[in-house]
Formats: sequence, structure tokens, C-alpha cells
Amino acid sequence: MAIENMAFLIPVLPALAFVLTFFLGKKLPNGGAIIPIIAIFTSFVISLLITMNLLQNPGQVVSQSYNWFAILNVGILIDPLAAVMLSMVSFVSLLIHIYAVGYMSHDKAQPRYFAETALFTAAMLGVVLSDNILQFFVCWELVGLCSYLLIGFWFEKPSAASAAKKAFLTTRVGDVMFLAGIILLFADIFKIFNGSIPQGVYVLRFDEIFSHIPEIAALNTQIFGFEVSHLTLITLLFFGGAVGKSGQFPLHVWLPDAMEGPTTVSALIHAATMVTAGVYLVARTFPMFIAAPYSLLIVAYIGAFTALFAATMGLVMNDIKRILAYSTISQLGYMMLGLGMGAVIGITAVGDSLFHLINHAFFKALLFLCAGSVIHAVGTQDIRQMGGVGKVMPITFATMLIASLALAGFGIPGTSIGVSGFFSKDPIIEAAYLFGESTENWFPYLFSIVAALLTSIYIFRLIFMTFTGKPRTSYGGHESPAVMTVPLIILGLLALVFGALTKTSFGNFLKETFGNNFVSIDIHALAEMGEYHLASHGSGSEPLIILWMPVIVAFAGLLISYLIYGMRILDMSSIVSRNNPIYKLLYNRYYQNAIYTEFLAVKVVYEGLSLAGRSIDRGFDWLVNFIGHIFMELADGLRQLQTGVVQNYATAVITGVSLLVILLKLIMEVF
Amino acid sequence: MVDLTLLTPELTLVGTGLVVLSIGLFLNTNAKKILSYLASLGILASLVLVLTNLGNGGMLFNETLSFDALSQFFKIVFLSVALLVSIASIKYTEGNSHTEEFYSLLIFATVGMMFVASANDLIVLFVAFELASLATYALAGFEKKNPLSLEASMKYFMIGALSAALMLFGISFIYGATGTTSIPGVAENINILLGSPIGLLSVVLMIAGLGFKIALVPFHMWAPDTYQGSPSVVSSLLAAGSKKMGFVAAFKVFMVGLIALQAEWTTAFALLAVITMTLGNIVALSQNSVKRMLAYSSVAQAGYITMSFVVMSKTALAGAILYALSHGFMKAGAFIATAAVIYMVLSEKKDSEMPDHIDNFRGLGKRMPITALCMTIFLFALAGIPLTAGYMSKFVLFASTIEAGLVWLAVIAILNSAISLFYYARVVKYMYFLSSEGEKIAEPVPYTVAMIIAAIFVLAIGFWSEPFIYWAMEAAKVLI
Repeated sequence: MAIENMAFLIPVLPALAFVLTFFLGKKLPNGGAIIPIIAIFTSFVISLLITMNLLQNPGQVVSQSYNWFAILNVGILIDPLAAVMLSMVSFVSLLIHIYAVGYMSHDKAQPRYFAETALFTAAMLGVVLSDNILQFFVCWELVGLCSYLLIGFWFEKPSAASAAKKAFLTTRVGDVMFLAGIILLFADIFKIFNGSIPQGVYVLRFDEIFSHIPEIAALNTQIFGFEVSHLTLITLLFFGGAVGKSGQFPLHVWLPDAMEGPTTVSALIHAATMVTAGVYLVARTFPMFIAAPYSLLIVAYIGAFTALFAATMGLVMNDIKRILAYSTISQLGYMMLGLGMGAVIGITAVGDSLFHLINHAFFKALLFLCAGSVIHAVGTQDIRQMGGVGKVMPITFATMLIASLALAGFGIPGTSIGVSGFFSKDPIIEAAYLFGESTENWFPYLFSIVAALLTSIYIFRLIFMTFTGKPRTSYGGHESPAVMTVPLIILGLLALVFGALTKTSFGNFLKETFGNNFVSIDIHALAEMGEYHLASHGSGSEPLIILWMPVIVAFAGLLISYLIYGMRILDMSSIVSRNNPIYKLLYNRYYQNAIYTEFLAVKVVYEGLSLAGRSIDRGFDWLVNFIGHIFMELADGLRQLQTGVVQNYATAVITGVSLLVILLKLIMEVF
Repeated sequence: MVDLTLLTPELTLVGTGLVVLSIGLFLNTNAKKILSYLASLGILASLVLVLTNLGNGGMLFNETLSFDALSQFFKIVFLSVALLVSIASIKYTEGNSHTEEFYSLLIFATVGMMFVASANDLIVLFVAFELASLATYALAGFEKKNPLSLEASMKYFMIGALSAALMLFGISFIYGATGTTSIPGVAENINILLGSPIGLLSVVLMIAGLGFKIALVPFHMWAPDTYQGSPSVVSSLLAAGSKKMGFVAAFKVFMVGLIALQAEWTTAFALLAVITMTLGNIVALSQNSVKRMLAYSSVAQAGYITMSFVVMSKTALAGAILYALSHGFMKAGAFIATAAVIYMVLSEKKDSEMPDHIDNFRGLGKRMPITALCMTIFLFALAGIPLTAGYMSKFVLFASTIEAGLVWLAVIAILNSAISLFYYARVVKYMYFLSSEGEKIAEPVPYTVAMIIAAIFVLAIGFWSEPFIYWAMEAAKVLI
């Protein structure tokens, strides 16, 4: 049997594992962890085999569609874009599951944990291989549900319960926009077909959507007096969904709080199964974005701004997981920026962005698992109470260092020497430079280069504070067991060499995403529709200083961190003080909590809308109760008719017949 | 020589019934369990025969029997319900010395229903109708030591006799005026009835006679007492099967035979549909006996299906026909689930006053998890929650009502659905949110098998509804 025919097993196996673990987990050792591990391993093998097949023949993608109902379908699409995502998601999820066997070994609710993470993985795999936007959305929502369950895994902790709620509600804002986009898209395509859809056409399948891009772009709506193309509207609504899921400004607030779940869950969310869904959505619908004026620019600005904004907050956090959380937000900003750079480099942007996504998945999963390993051993998350951990946990230290180098992006331009983050972050920054060059708009480039400096500072601050120096508190640390360190080493190797090995092949492979037997799209024509001017020459031909700039700032960041936190030469106490307004602003995270929670949630929504609503509700409650009361009274009255005496029943029949005759006669006379 | 291929399903059933009955005479009580399997197999074989004959159609016996998409569809409904009931009854009749009678009556009732579905002549229709009715009268009183069961049977029989008389009276008027009993023949010679009081009277009499089986208000009053008093498996057959026989007969009589009198019966059905669904739903609110609640719920559901007589479009009929199929599975399933609960209650306490009291459903989610889950599916389907058969049928039916411009009727029906959610959800609340001291018990296998089959179909029709809608559409084409 051809491996393509087993593609459906990729999401189905983890979903089955969810059911089995949920019901049988209690009876098996380690909460039944072996079931999801085997299932996800099989998914990974199938994904990898399909990816390898595709590498041989990138034009022949896997596409299987079945009628669901009416003009909608369920189906599988595995093109280069989906293939790399599938392999990455299943692989990283597999490692995290193995690691969790050790990490969760003391938890009583293991079966629930493994069941939910299996479902989480299944949902994400479902998102990735959907061939239509509706199925995509269904799985997307399932991802949201699982994240809620897992962030609130220790639901008896109030902070975990509220973090879960926050994540769910914040991403919900984006989800509603995404759904609105789908509805608008459906209505538009329906209109384009004049309401009569030919047999065998599935309107929400991606190839069908892409083939109608010019017609959708021609539809306009007036909003606040501006003519807005429906295509722009739809793509921005989709992007709204991506902003929520991928933690972009201003819907990023849930992601740092999501640390309340087990660290392994954070690793899953940050690396494999959740936040990348937003980036993937934009990449998946990239032809729509590039044909829509302004859309890609907005993606680029939001991405660049998020990259910088989150990095500034990462500088001052003291919770090891929170630093990583802000780092994720910042890196997601880079991915969005990368996609937005489609405005100048066209289809290559998808490859750049996805390359960073995959590399980031490896080193971010590694960072989280290392952090988990440290927390597991030290018993605190506050880096001020650590120090010198590197001596007791050499493997963790080494792998964490690799991951940090990858995150900061060390390497030598023009050669194949460098860690994976270097090869993926650099092209994005270079594309931003190209964008500045061709549009005279330097903000994305400035943001991204400053963010790169800050990234290097905060991650080495973490390294120096945690692993070097002397212990600042007494902790009985020890290296983690092999089941935890082996995944670290595997991820470490990938973070080290994956970028160098695949830096050219990856981009070439992904270029085939929109030109194969499933869809064939002329990106240049679409870019002209979107009024984007693609650069005639690719990146790589910039002045030498620009090529070296990211590396220079990375070294500068390392140096600054070393001076402050490693050598303790520079005294920071004057800066790190509550009297310094900038520090205060950062430490309080730009008062987001005050703005979002205290002002928006409490003042506006709760005290304003909700309390006003409550008095209205009281009226409705009364009304509803009153109606209910009437019906119950009526029921008691009417059931008296049912006397139980059969003579009465017969009388009712005869009376009914007579009344009907009379009534009908009257009615027929009148009309 | 008449080609009897089309008749093989019925012949198989009759044969099975006779064999079961005669073998039963020679078996001792313990060995009679084999009969229940035999009967189930016979019904299954008949169902398979109907399914293999799907494409074929035609007339038999001087065009008194017609085999078309509509009759096949309803035969499948009847046979599926009979099969579910028959499987569930394996447990019910266990150790009963009258097993062979139970099963032969069940089979003959089914045969009667199947002939009604095929009837193309008023006399054949009436005789088949009575065959089914007489068999079910006896079934309702099957627990002859139980006064409730006897009372149920007696009331059912008396009102049934009255209704049969009314129906026959109506048929005699029609025959008198048109000179024929053939249903298409009636339609051709209808002139004399047009605008005449006789026409009006015969319409009303036919409505009364068929309304008895359908349980339209005010001809419904036997139903709650009978459904409550009869053995649950029999209630299941009555609500899920016998009621649909009333519908298929009414479809034929009114939409084919008396189509020229449409103005009269449309008005009557509009009136009855509204009264029926409203009264059924409202009275169901205050019931504490689950079987009685299900009885009123099925009165209400009959009201929804009757809407199709008012709308009279192809989609509406397809909706009604699909509803008949869905209701067959959901109602049969719900009654069988109740039967399982009653079995549990009686095995703990022999002389329980009202074994189907809603209090006995407390904590069922823990005590009988499979039964509780299936019951939840059935109840949600009956309430019309999406992704179930009930939702899809309601959707098609209500949408067609709105399409036909009868917004007022659709609004009444939707409001009624909202009311009904209360009493369905109440049972779910008892099953999952209230606790009970009782322990977890082993769920009887036959009940469980029957419930799971029904639940699978309820979900399948809800989820993969397109082929079913298409199929119902084909059946509806026979009528319009």
C-alpha cells in the first residue's frame, strides 16, 4: 500500500491514543504514556516517509477529498508546507511526550495529562493537513480547547485556572475574527457562483479559494467611507485569528500566563502544537495575502513590532519560563515579519518564515525542556534564586547553551558555519533590509535588528544568572534521568546542525507549495494585484555590514550580558530599580495588566457592560421564569384532561370529529 | 403466474412468524430463547431482502399492492424498529413461557405495517391496518398478570375499535361517492365529493381513524396510558413503528387519493398539527414517569411531522419521511433504554410502584454508563440538538415550512422545540448530575446491543445526512 494512503492515520492515531489513554491509562504504568508515544511515533514515521517522497517529487502532493455534506468536504492535503510541519509537529511532540514520562512521574493525574496532550497533538496535526478552511477551523478550535484544558491542568491552583481562562478568552477574540473571515469568504464564493455550485466543487477547499482570488478581490465594501476589497478584509480577519493563536500584539497577553501549566505543556504550546498554527494559517493562505493590498504590510508591521515589544519585556523578567515565553512571542513576531516580507521577496517569504518556525520549534522546545529540567531539580522558577546550576546539571547546561546560541543566532555569514537560528533569522532580517531599500520604509528592519540585540541580551542573562556563578540559595539539585536528558540531546543536535544542513534545500522545497498538481499559482501576477513590488534580485547581495549586522548585535548582546551578569563588572542596581521609569514600565510589562484586566475587563466589560446587563438580565430572568411558570401551570392544568377513564377518551374522539366537521365547514364557507 | 419476488420480504416474515409459533409449542420454557434469535434473524433477513430489492418496483394483485420508493422506505423503518425491538426483547422474554406468542405477534404486527406501506387500495389498507392493530392490542396486554398492562391493552383496544369504525365509515363514504376503493381510482373519480358535505365528512372521518394511530390531539388520549402500561419494548414498537404506519397510510389516502380535497384537509391538519405539538410538549413538562413523558413527546413529534401535510412541498415531505426514520430510531432507542432501567429497578425491587419514575434515573451515568450515554443521545436527538438525526429532520422540515411562506407555523414549531428541551434535558440532568446510592450494575447485553445500533444510526443520520435526505427525497417523489 502506498504510504500516501496512510496519511489519514497521522491525526487519527493520536486521536485514538487520546481515547485509549483516557479510559485505560489508569491501569497502565506511567499513566499509559506508552500509547500516545507509539501513536505519535507512527504518525511521525508516516509524515517523514511522505515528506521524503515529496522531496523526490515535489510537484506531486498528497491530496485526498471526500464529500462531507452539500458543497463541503473533508480532506487531506500534504504539500511541502504541510509535510515539513507534520514532521516537525509529530517529532517535537514525540520527544516532549517521552520527556514527560520523567517529568510527570510524580503527578497523580498522568492518564489525563497524556490523553490531553495526545488530543492536542492530533488537533494540531489535523490543522496542518486540512485541505479546506472549514476543517482547518474545526481542528484549530480543538487546539484551543486542548490548550485550555492543559494550561489549566492543575486546575486546583487558582492561578492556573485563571490562566487557562485568559488563554481561552484571548484566543477566542482571534477565533471569532477567523470565523467571520470564513463566513465572508464562503458568502463571496457563493456569490461568485451565483448560488449554483456545480457538482464536485468544494467551495472551501484551498484550491477552489485560490482560484477565485481575482473575483473576491473585485468585490468591495464601504467601511467608514473607505472602499475596502473583500480580499483585504478576509485576509485581515484571518490574520486576526493568527494574531490570537500566535500571540502577536495585542493579543499576546495570554502566552506568558500560559506558563501555569506543566512545563512540558508550555513546550508543546510554544514549539509544536499551538502558537505555530497562526503562522501556518498565514502561510497556508499566503496567495490570498499577497494578492490583497495592505494585508502583508500589516502582517509585517505587527510582526516586527511584536518582535521588539516582547523582547524588551523579556529583559526584565525573573521567572525562567516567562523569559522564554516572551522570547517565543518575539520569535513569532519574526516569523510573521518573515511572511510579511512576501511584499518584497514573494513566495520565498513562506520558505524563510517556515524555516525559522521549524528551527525555532527545535530550539524553543529544547529551551523549555531544559528549563523544565532545571525547575525539576531546583524547585523554583526564579532565576535570582538559582546560580551555578551548570555544575550539577552539565548535560542540561550544554544543551541549554546550544539552544541559546541558536536563539541568538550565532554564525558566520556566507559560510555554512552557524547554529540553526542563525540561518533562519538572518534571511528574515535581510528581507526586512531589502524591504527598507525598495520602499524607503526602515521600521521593520530597525525593529528586527534591535530585537535581535535584545534577544541576545535576555537569553544570556538567563544563562549567566542560572548556570554560572555561585548558588544564591541552597538547593539539592541533580541531573535529570535519562528519559529526560535524551530528548534534550536529540533536540540539541538538531538545534545545532539542522539549519546548516538544510539552509538551501528547505527554501527550494517550500517553493513548490503553490505550484503542483493541487494548486498552481502565479505568485507574480497575484503580487501585482496586491500592488506589491517584488525585488528583482534576491537577498544576499546587501552591503557586507548588513550581512554581518545580526551577528554583530548577537555578539554585542552576549558581551553586554557577560559584563553585567557574568563578570558583574557593570553595576545594574541604579538601572534595576523601581525609581527608573523605563525599568518600571518594562517590569510592569507596559501596564498591560492594568490596561487589559483592570481597565478593559473590569471597568469596561464588568462594571460597565456586565452590571448594566445584569439589571436587564434580571428582567429577562423574571420573564423567563414567568413563562416557565405559565407552562408548568398549563401542564398541570392540561394533564387533568387525561382522566384515565376510557369513556372520556371515546367522548373526546367523537367530540373531536364533530368539532372538526363544524370548524372545517365554517372555514370553508368563509374562504 | 404472479411474480412474487417483490413480496419475498413479507413472505419471509410470515414464514418466520408461523415457524416460531409452531416450534414454540414443542419447546420447554428454557429452550424458548432460541425462538427470539430465530425471530430476529427472520426480521433481519426480511430487511436484507427489502434492501436488495430497493431498485425494483411494480404492482401486484390487480394493482392493490404497489412497491415503490415510498413503500420501501417505510418498510425499512418498520423492519429496523422491529429488529431493534426484537433484539431488545431477547432479554425481556427470557424465561417467559409465552415467548413464541410474543414474537409471532411482533412479526405479524410488522407484516401488517409493511402491507399498509404497500397498500394501493383502501380495503387492503384497512385490513393490513387492522392486522397490525390487533397484534399490537395483544402485545400491549402481554403481561397479563399486570393490571397496568391489561388496562393499557383494553384502552388501546377500545379506542382502536372506535377509530377503526370511524375509518371504515369514512372509507364507505368515499367508496359510495367514487365507486372504487383503489386509491388512484378514488383520485380519478373524486368529482362528486368536491365541495360536498360528504367529502368534508369523509375527510374528517379518515383523519380521525388515522389520527388515532398517529396520536393526533384529540385522538391521542389512549397513547400515554398505553405507552406507560405496556411493556417498554412494546411501547417502543407502538411509538416508533405503529405510529409511522399511520403516517404512511395518511400520506397515501390524502396526498394520493383525496388530493382534490386538499383545501379541506390542509386546514384540518394545520389546526391539528399546532394543537398536537403544543399540547404534547406542554403536558410532557410535568410528567414524572419517563415512559409517559416519552409518550407525550411522541405526540408532540407527530405534530411536527403533520406539518408536512400543511406545507405540501417535496422538501417538506422528504423532511417528514426522514423524520419518520429518525424518530423510529430515537424513540425506539429511548424506550429500550427505559426498558433497561426498568429491568434494573425490578431486579432490585420486585414490586416497584412506578419502575420508570424519573427518580430511578438518578446517577444512571455511573450505574449504567452505556445506557445513560445512549439515552442522552436519543433525548438530545429528540430535542433536535445538532449532529443528531433529530436535528437534521427538524431542519429539513422547518426550513421547508419557512420556504413555503408559512413562517407562523415554523415559529410555533421552533418555540415548541424550545419547550421540549426542558423535559428532555431534565432526564439527562437526573442521569448525570444527581447521585444515587445504587451500585453499578451489569447492563443486559440485548438491550445494550439494540441501543447501540439505534444510537449509531441516530448519529449517522445526523452526521452523514446527505444520502438519507436524498433517499427521503426519492420517496417523496412518489407522492408529489
